[in-house]
Amino acid sequence: MQQEWTNWSGSLRFTPGSTETPSDEEELAQLVCRAASDGRTVRAAGAGHSSSPLVQTEDILVSMERFRGVEHHDPGAREVTVKSGMMLREANRAFLDLGLALENLGDVDLQSLVGAIGTGTHGTGRRFHILSHHLIGGRLVNGRGEIVEFPMERDSEFVLAARVALGALGIFTALRLRLVPAFRLHRREWCAHIEDCLADLDRLIEENRNFDFYWYPRSDEAKLRTLNFPEEDQKTTIPYARCVKEMSGWSGEVIPRQRELRFDEIEFFFPAEAGPRCFREVRKRVKARHRKSVGWRVLYRTIAADNAYLSGAHSRDSVTISLHQNNTLPYDEYFRDIEHIFRDYGGRPHWGKKHYLKAGDLRPLYPMWDRFLELRQRMDPEGVFLNPYLSELLGCGRTAPLHA
Amino acid sequence: MKIIGRTTWAIPGGRIPLNSTGPEPDFTSNEELCILNAGYQDAKVEITVFYESRDPVGPYRITVPAKRTRHVRFNDLIAPEAMPLDTDYACIVDSDVAIVVQFNRRDTSRAENALMGVMAFPVD
Repeated sequence: MQQEWTNWSGSLRFTPGSTETPSDEEELAQLVCRAASDGRTVRAAGAGHSSSPLVQTEDILVSMERFRGVEHHDPGAREVTVKSGMMLREANRAFLDLGLALENLGDVDLQSLVGAIGTGTHGTGRRFHILSHHLIGGRLVNGRGEIVEFPMERDSEFVLAARVALGALGIFTALRLRLVPAFRLHRREWCAHIEDCLADLDRLIEENRNFDFYWYPRSDEAKLRTLNFPEEDQKTTIPYARCVKEMSGWSGEVIPRQRELRFDEIEFFFPAEAGPRCFREVRKRVKARHRKSVGWRVLYRTIAADNAYLSGAHSRDSVTISLHQNNTLPYDEYFRDIEHIFRDYGGRPHWGKKHYLKAGDLRPLYPMWDRFLELRQRMDPEGVFLNPYLSELLGCGRTAPLHA
Repeated sequence: MKIIGRTTWAIPGGRIPLNSTGPEPDFTSNEELCILNAGYQDAKVEITVFYESRDPVGPYRITVPAKRTRHVRFNDLIAPEAMPLDTDYACIVDSDVAIVVQFNRRDTSRAENALMGVMAFPVD
């Protein structure tokens, strides 16, 4: 009997028809080839940290847990090709062993590397991009069961589509990344009143390598986080805040933190200039309508513009705002209500988190939406990698008969 | 110094006011647990919250260092989950060493603040 699959927060549960764990690329290609000829569908699972139903399937679920390790390293070019089943934490350690690092990381490193890339996962810092920006090539198995290599030098357009692909172009087997030299950071956490933080927001974002803040709706206080190179961090002062925690270490050790407490989350990307106004409106709405059931925090971060087709930061320097709710408490009414505000400010959803947008809402938000769908159609003409959620999200259906 | 207090306390009459008047956090309506640990060992405290129509939630874990007091707003507790405002609740406070527990409510729903402080009920 098939085991139920559950994501990290517990809000997503399903039982796949079968779970396959291929040991190499050829076995995966044969599996997809068979699925295509049988009219079946295939989804690949990462670490399950995402809470959107991208992975959900009643048909074949593929685990990539056997695809681990560094496949190739070019020290001169700071390029590394890794197998796609690596967890982000594991990849960070492997990169550090090579004297390399991702330029930025998110709050946690519980995701698979390919899942973080495929959903446009990001950290904070106005000069830093989403994690996918490191991707400059790799290999995938397409919907016909063919192994396709896509080097940036030969097909840059495809790489821009592949950087945030939602698992819709194929199943990645190898990721080629251009990294930066390993670096250390000094991390500090500060407590302050939210109004003081907002009044100083531009300076905080400008002067710190990485800056974000959490707002706590039941006290109007904020937790500020600053990360800087240790040798440059001595000058950092926040006169109205008190420093409550600090630590130094390699980037992969101090940017992500442990998260024992599980939660559901919705997050949208906005044009950077709209961020403060949007946050103030969200704050007002949460205090007026949701404080009875919402005690947890709202997170504000910054991200540099990029050109990946489905990136939330496509063509615009961005701010993200995310809502958190304990995973044992209802989130739906809260997230839906605030999503209206997010949409008023031109918000684009984080693909790995909760949101309620469909293809008709999404298409106007992404200038390269149609081009992405053309490439998707080319890679997966029969819809082997589509599940009902993705079909609705992208506005494209299967062309092959469904498996009986 | 004599060891003072008890290891289990009960507070039956909780209900955090929903609305507040005045600048926050100073004037946020809140309910607060004030714990005195006069002993020589840190107190590991667990709070279990009871509701009218759902199973208890907890434990909420806090530490009160030896020879210290700690004031904790129920409003701010988020692990394992945020408590609902404007909802009847009760709680049991368990500690591994003797402590003294007081319960405060500050209601700023109207500009004329209301403040109440009572001792929790010592169970053991």
